[in-house]
Amino acid sequence: MIRIFASILAVLLIGALAPATAAPVDGGHARVELIAERSSVLPGETIYAALKMDLDPNWHVYWRNAGDAGLPPELIYRETSTVPGGAIGDFVWPVPHLLPVVEGEIMDYGYSEQVILPFPLMIPANASGTVQLDVVADYLICEDICVPETADVSLTLRVGQPVPDTMNGEMIAQWIAKVPLAFVGDVRVDASGTPWKLSLRGEPGLSRDSGIRFFPFAHEISHPAPQPVTFGSDGATLSLTQAGQTPLEGNLDGVLVIEQADGTRFGYEISAEQGPVFENTAGLAAIRSGKGGAGGTGLLTLAFFALIGGLILNLMPCVLPVLSIKAMGMVSAAASGHANELRSHGIWYTVGVLVSFAALAGAIVGVRAATGSATLGFQLQNGPTVAILALIMFLIGLWLMGLFELGTSIQNTGSTLASRNGAAGAFFTGVLAAVVGAPCVGPFLGAALGAVLSQPAAAVFIVFLAMGFGLALPFLLLSFVPGLQRVLPKPGKWMETLKQFFAFPMFLTAAWLLSVLGALSGHSAVAWTVAGATAITFAIWLARRGGVPARAVAAAVLVVGFAYPALRASAPAAAEGTSSAYAAKYETEAWSPERVAELTAQGRPVFVDFTATWCATCQLNKLSTLKSAAVQDAFADANVAFLVADFTRKDPVIAEELKRRERAGVPMYLWYPAGASEPEILPEILSKDLVIGLLGSS
Amino acid sequence: MFSRRNFSLAAGMAAAVALTAGAMIASTANASPLVAPGEPAPAFIGLDSEGQSVALADFAGKTVVLEWTNDGCPFVQKHYAAPPSNMQSLQADAATDDVVWLSVISSAPGKQGHVSGTQANALTASRDATPAHVILDPSGDIGRLYGAKTTPHMFVIKPDGMLAYEGAIDSKPSARVSDIDTATNYVRAALTSLAADEPVEVASSKPYGCSVKYE
Repeated sequence: MIRIFASILAVLLIGALAPATAAPVDGGHARVELIAERSSVLPGETIYAALKMDLDPNWHVYWRNAGDAGLPPELIYRETSTVPGGAIGDFVWPVPHLLPVVEGEIMDYGYSEQVILPFPLMIPANASGTVQLDVVADYLICEDICVPETADVSLTLRVGQPVPDTMNGEMIAQWIAKVPLAFVGDVRVDASGTPWKLSLRGEPGLSRDSGIRFFPFAHEISHPAPQPVTFGSDGATLSLTQAGQTPLEGNLDGVLVIEQADGTRFGYEISAEQGPVFENTAGLAAIRSGKGGAGGTGLLTLAFFALIGGLILNLMPCVLPVLSIKAMGMVSAAASGHANELRSHGIWYTVGVLVSFAALAGAIVGVRAATGSATLGFQLQNGPTVAILALIMFLIGLWLMGLFELGTSIQNTGSTLASRNGAAGAFFTGVLAAVVGAPCVGPFLGAALGAVLSQPAAAVFIVFLAMGFGLALPFLLLSFVPGLQRVLPKPGKWMETLKQFFAFPMFLTAAWLLSVLGALSGHSAVAWTVAGATAITFAIWLARRGGVPARAVAAAVLVVGFAYPALRASAPAAAEGTSSAYAAKYETEAWSPERVAELTAQGRPVFVDFTATWCATCQLNKLSTLKSAAVQDAFADANVAFLVADFTRKDPVIAEELKRRERAGVPMYLWYPAGASEPEILPEILSKDLVIGLLGSS
Repeated sequence: MFSRRNFSLAAGMAAAVALTAGAMIASTANASPLVAPGEPAPAFIGLDSEGQSVALADFAGKTVVLEWTNDGCPFVQKHYAAPPSNMQSLQADAATDDVVWLSVISSAPGKQGHVSGTQANALTASRDATPAHVILDPSGDIGRLYGAKTTPHMFVIKPDGMLAYEGAIDSKPSARVSDIDTATNYVRAALTSLAADEPVEVASSKPYGCSVKYE
């Protein structure tokens, strides 16, 4: 308890002693201040400071390339500073947002609400007492109109033992995490035709439901033009509209911003050489507007096409038979002149379809929330689901063949119940239509629906409901428009013949699902599903023999017939391989002096990363270098042990080690070449070349 | 009877047609006209601040400068600031050299910079400006014809009607008056080259300033 008090007191004291950053300066439409990741610094070290701007609602400041109009913020050094002008490095720019000024005509790039622009600050080696940085923040800030503003801001840091400013440090680290990473993969631009094609190969994170936008550093391309994207198995290709008519000279440089389905945004810095589009990076549609989000009209368009898609679903081989049965019911009802009953059937059928599609949309939103992404047709990527669908198709086929009857006994119990039973029957026919339609939805409408999967839950529901409505529409029309009913043929024996005939498409659909299952879960799963189908047939046969014990056995066999193939199908045929290259390769273990001694005794090279979440420099090094695939591959090849000492919370052992190396703060990077017991201390700002170079020299 | 494949095929084709149509609808928004140096400057007819009709064709045989402007825009204010009266001196020199200077205001009604003819004339007087005409383009039609993005955005048209220069007024994108001195003025350079019958060295640049306040 006393210790806790003491540390709180210490923190408060440090806070009071630290010449805290001056209060934010109000530039007019933004509150501006300079912040740093340390409140106290070592002479000679380089830290991250940042320009922090809190903007009025609806006002914007600009990225390094402002787009069609606007200017990026800049810092103008003032002579009153006690650090030299050369001590200030350039801003590292977090990924920008699109700022449409005039839709389709003028597009700007920048930031709203809040922006923190980090920059390296070198503390002079001869600094003592305090150091002070005075700058004029000169920025253009715009809403509908633009106002150039300036704010005189200062940063004062004590010189001595490094003390992190945890709050500001964390804030700067958060924004450094938004700085574009180096692109791991290949990128080329084909500027020989119209439009230009920017082809990206080999970078994970480019899934078909992500939004991709290229932000150029210069003005080679039209800023407001949409950037349609298509995908291939190896990457993606964006279409860019040339600005003016000047041919592209040299590389096309800029930042690729990827917005994943769950709203995560990250960027890659790219420099595209000129050359043809890579193979397998184009051709597969992804409809997601280049504007980076669903506008109202975009959603309406999608919903409209979903409705048409739903209409087309009526013709799918798996849906048509079920609907024919429904149609025959209508023929009977129309023939007997029950117009009211017909209408209620139409409504209940529609409700059944809509409820099922809402459930499907709910499942997709749920899967997306749980896994971060969802692809349509996911129902066909899951072995058990495919097995059960195949069995359902088979079962429906048996029913169409007339092997068993559904609900005949109930329907005969009395005409008073008929309408209600009819309603329930219509509802479940709707559900059935949606269920049997589900296997067809993925392969057939996948591309169209891919567009909506990345959008907010409400949009997903709207589009799916529109599709369901499209599926239900023909029957709804039939049941409400009297003229149409008269067109229906008269009921007769032909209905039974047609019903039996429709069993065959169902069996074929089951066969197709079995082939899908084979690819997913292997041939034994297919064999077990066929066995399950046999068990189900046996169960039906048994049940028809009559007798309560026989029915009980039949029910048990039926359950097993469905469950066991599903179980067998859950074993995957092939391993999943879609994890991010960063996470997959960034293997670390916790640091301890003992572990280092062990590893060095084995003669293994060891890299130790002394880090903390509030340390902006650490995060930047991690992003730019340590987590990069190049460094991780090189480490793996050289069998380097990667140890992490996490100093986010005070740790006496880590503090002792830092002190021993006379580097009382993080980051600190230690490199033990193979066979060495004493480390080399690396600079605070790392680069890939530097780290990979270590391996070459060892 | 339809086979299963025929159904899929027909349905797939219908979907493909629908998707393509959707993609085409989405991409038509991008038909922005582009005017490039070396090509004919698009013809236009507009109304000036006196209510007179002004056509580009009226000035055939003369060098014409188009200046997109908006008096509320700080970048425009920078170049009209007196001293150094950067824009005014360009206009005065143009008048001396028989170059036609047309200031164009494409701000939509209710937007920054939108003015009546009377207000435009008052502005011209108060700033000691001397354009040949101030063209009022509240619909933005002329602005869009030229692809004017910013205020200021400058266009220089040769006597033969070809565009000689398009872009920024000078080389220093900022709203600071102090930068005018050290910047290269692209419009002055273009006019000087044209007068000397030499090729324009910088024929195109990235315009900087406020966005044009279109509808």
